[in-house]
Amino acid sequence: MIEFNNVSKVYSNGCKALSNVSLTIEQGEFVAIIGLSGAGKSTLLRSINKMHSISDGILNVNGVEVSKIKGKELRKFRRNIGMVFQSFNLVRRTSVINNVLSSKAADKNVLEVLFGYYSKEEKISALEALDKVGILEKAYIRADQLSGGQMQRVALARTLAQNPKIILADEPVASLDPIMASSVMEDFTKINKETNITVIINIHHVDLALKYADRIIGIRAGEIVFDGPSANITDDILTEIYGREINDDERMIKND
Amino acid sequence: MINYLKSLFVPETFTLSNGKVVKSKFNWTIYIVIALFFLIILAGKFTGFSFETLVDKGANFFDILVKMVKVDFAYFPKIVGPMIDTLTMSLLGTVIGAVFALPAAFICSANLNKNRIFIRIVKTLISIIRTVPVLVYALILTYIFGIGTFAGFLSLTIFTFSICTKMLYEQIETLDNGPFEAMESTGSDKVKATWIAIFPQLRSHYFSTMLYNFEMNVRSAAILGYVGAGGIGLILNENIGWRKYGRVGMILIVLIVTVIAIESLSRFIRKRLG
Repeated sequence: MIEFNNVSKVYSNGCKALSNVSLTIEQGEFVAIIGLSGAGKSTLLRSINKMHSISDGILNVNGVEVSKIKGKELRKFRRNIGMVFQSFNLVRRTSVINNVLSSKAADKNVLEVLFGYYSKEEKISALEALDKVGILEKAYIRADQLSGGQMQRVALARTLAQNPKIILADEPVASLDPIMASSVMEDFTKINKETNITVIINIHHVDLALKYADRIIGIRAGEIVFDGPSANITDDILTEIYGREINDDERMIKND
Repeated sequence: MINYLKSLFVPETFTLSNGKVVKSKFNWTIYIVIALFFLIILAGKFTGFSFETLVDKGANFFDILVKMVKVDFAYFPKIVGPMIDTLTMSLLGTVIGAVFALPAAFICSANLNKNRIFIRIVKTLISIIRTVPVLVYALILTYIFGIGTFAGFLSLTIFTFSICTKMLYEQIETLDNGPFEAMESTGSDKVKATWIAIFPQLRSHYFSTMLYNFEMNVRSAAILGYVGAGGIGLILNENIGWRKYGRVGMILIVLIVTVIAIESLSRFIRKRLG
């Protein structure tokens, strides 16, 4: 369970990214965070695994008060939270399987990491993660040979191999074409339903958010302006989140 | 012509037919060229440069050159040993210096290490190490470890370390930081994250830096013998002293051929590394 209690974040340059955010996300939810660029979506997401630290309020993740931990404890805490990025963040000059295995490095000793030693069990678990996202046959190909959609799948497999309880995805489909974007979103849904991993996604494409997520959090200028089931989203609410009406051209997928 | 010369010194003003006035930007170039010209003349005065001496004594150079052309081929077997010494100390110095440079470069990279003050201190220390010429290290180290290749090897190690560190951290700072961030998000510490996410991006550049340093080291190793730090410089110094220019010619041929061979090989491999 993730609990934000009056959380605020002010950057050192004075920019206020979050103000008095309070919300609760239960285990197994599929949540999409929507809002304009700069509204605070990334800050909200990244505060959960302390990639950004909060300035005020209390943030509890699975019983851990995030602002209180650091160093070794923080790294151990991050083991349970996977993260997926807009630009995939794969190590392109190495094989797909090495990328997936890299999420297991945190548990290994430095010498094993230095020599790239992974046990047979670890390799099998990495391969299974690749199988889950449907690109098992690419395991021994260099990551830079893949298409954008495939790279994002590898990134997802890397996160799965980490056995997380929560997956944070920061604009995971923003650099993909619409078809790829939908299929990666389907992967997220599948993982969420089959494994009960909490999935929290920052997303620009409102229609993808409405189609795949169960719950929408709308954020504007650092404040939560909407929090509820996707079904309750109306054009008026979108207008409030985005400051103006969203027209059909701006939607990624036309409504059928 | 006058207008052109004038335009070099002062900005031009153009009046368009509709009355608008455009002024060109002030250009420093001509002033810098003039200043450099005077600096060169001044430098010549300071260093006691004179054309007379150059013409007068310059001829001696050709005398020696003529003597060197009468290469003493019989001396060749005596050169092989010192040449191998030179190569060995360059190679060892390069490899060991570069091995230590890798962690140092990681520590110095602003994108991996957020401790600005620490970085500043380490970078300053390394640039101090870099400022001291390799010949000076060799001189000092021969006093400590005695005359021989060990002092030469050690001075090349120190020099390579300082150069490689700088070349590497400048490269690291341009690399994609995303994978490193991803590793940190999985709970890896900085050491593991660096090794897994940064080193693969750096690998080919690292080996090419190493080869480049090896080339430089072979050249500087040749001179290290002058201060007693072993290798081919030792016999070069000896034979110049004894005015055995035929032998000097032979040594120079061996040295030039070796350096060219190593440079071409290194260039070939570096091209392959991409």
